[in-house]
Amino acid sequence: MTVDLTTGAARTTPLDELFDTYLGGTGAATKLLMDEIAQNKDPYAESSSIFFAIGPFNGVYPLCTKTVALFISPLTGNLGESHAGGNLAMALYQAGIHILKITGRSAFPCYIRIVNHEVSLHRAYSLKGMSALASERVLKERIGNAWKSSIIRVGPAGERESPIACVTVDTSRHFGRLGLGAIFGNKNLKAVIVSGSGGMQIGNNKGRYLKFYKNLYDQFVHSTALNKYHDLGTSMNILPLNQINGLPTRNFSQGFFEGAESISGENFADRLLIQKIACAHCPVGCIHMAILRESFDEKNHQYKSNKIAYDFELIYAVGSNLSLNRPEDVLRLLLIIEKQGWDAISMGVTLAWATEAFMKGVITSRETGGLILKFGDADIYEAVLNKVIGAERGGNAGSEFYRDLEKGTAFLAEKYGGESFAITFGRNEAPGYITGLHGFLGFSTGIRHSHLDSAGYSLDQKKRGVEKPEEAWTEDLFREGRWRTLLNSLVICLFARNVFTMPTILEGLAALGMTQWDEGKLQELAKKIHVMKYQLKKDLGFSFERERLPKKLASVYTATGIIDESEYLRQMRVFEDLLAKDAASLT
Amino acid sequence: MVRIAKLLRIVQREQCIGCGSCMMACSRTWKNMIGVEKAALKVRAYNGIEGAFSIRACYGCMDPDCARACPTGALTPRKGGGVQLNESLCTHCGLCIEACAPSALQWDFSDQCPLPCHHCGVCVSFCPNHVLEMVEVDQT
Repeated sequence: MTVDLTTGAARTTPLDELFDTYLGGTGAATKLLMDEIAQNKDPYAESSSIFFAIGPFNGVYPLCTKTVALFISPLTGNLGESHAGGNLAMALYQAGIHILKITGRSAFPCYIRIVNHEVSLHRAYSLKGMSALASERVLKERIGNAWKSSIIRVGPAGERESPIACVTVDTSRHFGRLGLGAIFGNKNLKAVIVSGSGGMQIGNNKGRYLKFYKNLYDQFVHSTALNKYHDLGTSMNILPLNQINGLPTRNFSQGFFEGAESISGENFADRLLIQKIACAHCPVGCIHMAILRESFDEKNHQYKSNKIAYDFELIYAVGSNLSLNRPEDVLRLLLIIEKQGWDAISMGVTLAWATEAFMKGVITSRETGGLILKFGDADIYEAVLNKVIGAERGGNAGSEFYRDLEKGTAFLAEKYGGESFAITFGRNEAPGYITGLHGFLGFSTGIRHSHLDSAGYSLDQKKRGVEKPEEAWTEDLFREGRWRTLLNSLVICLFARNVFTMPTILEGLAALGMTQWDEGKLQELAKKIHVMKYQLKKDLGFSFERERLPKKLASVYTATGIIDESEYLRQMRVFEDLLAKDAASLT
Repeated sequence: MVRIAKLLRIVQREQCIGCGSCMMACSRTWKNMIGVEKAALKVRAYNGIEGAFSIRACYGCMDPDCARACPTGALTPRKGGGVQLNESLCTHCGLCIEACAPSALQWDFSDQCPLPCHHCGVCVSFCPNHVLEMVEVDQT
């Protein structure tokens, strides 16, 4: 399904061949984006496109809840890829849309309404400047209760084309990373509402399908495989990481945060967790919602309460990395970030950079309009965020700096200085791991420069007490990244990655009548997609040679000690060689 | 006479996480459809103060309002509670779903007919949080 915002026209194209070759999801979308960038490499060109893709497992099996978004990243200028849960995959599946391509630019602020294959474009001037949360609230009434639906939208940050703006999906899920929100803003697109009333009829394989489904369900619900997500969620990682000096603290100065206990998953759950909710068709339900209760008139005991989702990455980004140890302060900042529609990791890292820049005199109170930035001061961070929001309206001293602040860490460091402590990889702000060589290597070599590409941070944690040359770990990293391209083509939630092994995937495909795949073909496809993605990255200007470890990270103590920069560069070459070997072997 | 029947009941609504596994189970079991739109029960997001979801499933009425509203006798009371559908008599008028006050009787939009619950319990076995249960009900 292609929607052209310039003309308002929509058309459908059969995808059978594309899906037969690339399965779906990230594989299929990468191929489409690859074809696109031959004509255009500018994310803000009118003709630039966004691809939302699902795969053969979405809607059909539990925990296959993710939608892949592909675009050219306004943050990095390179491949933009972000995955989100919520209801979107299910709504697209039921609408019979496997890839939604949005292109062109609307002449007026608008939202897109999709009901199955019917598409309409609506004026939405009244939604201008509306928070991401309020936008969902008001648009929900456009849907009614029938049919699986999903609302994706941007907050004001996206409208301002902040390259760290996200697209929010239903309740607290996000296409967070790499600035998709800015492209929505640039296209004058506030929201997309998708509703689907269909589904797939089970064919002749009903028994096989039901048996496979039940087996999956039992593993997810009745075994210990998904315990972590079922229980404390990803925030369970705060304490173990802290214990091994792996939790980024005060702009990656160290891996130990003295306030970790207080912002731990345990403490959040004990004190503030009010409910867990699920993405559509996920019986695990790992979305952890906390309550933030604040007084607005103490004398008369007047309170307001907000439900805010939290996760490991969010707690790191605006908790330990800003030296904030009160969960309520973390939530307070997250609420502003949610409303504005920024990516929380990027904003957290950017605030941490700004604080260090201020401490080192790289920026002064002239830029900040008198605010004294310091780690540990939640009120100051709240004031900074409010200045960023207000700066757009102009007038206040220091507004240029605040306008710049939402352009991300790399931009700021280039403009103001302080590049040595700008913690970015491929211009993307770093996720919450200071575990060592392969953690960082994973971020710099990763397709998305994200922790989700290849989980190098997890390899670092496995290294303890294991004798193995660094090359071998790099090979593990490479293989994991390659394998994940397949998982992201199906498209599963990566939390279920240990259940979706090769035999499981093959059986899942066969139960849907897709018996043409075997292990060799799937491995070959993973290789093909992986190589294609790096080709796409290179076409957009990525080079392994230019990727550098942020200077500061070569001198901090990580969970596995201090990193030898020459070893880091050597392992980059190893990774590049592995990729070259794969490319050469493709038939 | 004591009449005991096993009926589907929502026993712990507040424990619902909104995953929709119950609807998926119902739909694939009875309608061979992988999706949620042909399920005989519905989980809705609920913005009120009691939890996050509202679940609408057949109450197993002994004197069902939906059956009374049916002008053709397509929908009739089912032994043990609830209703059964004779599709050949259905005129697709929708009066039955209008008549169900809690909107527990669902509607099949593609076939334009109601989706009566069989009280089979397959949804119960796919609920991860013990929200649903098959309960013995005395309907004397």
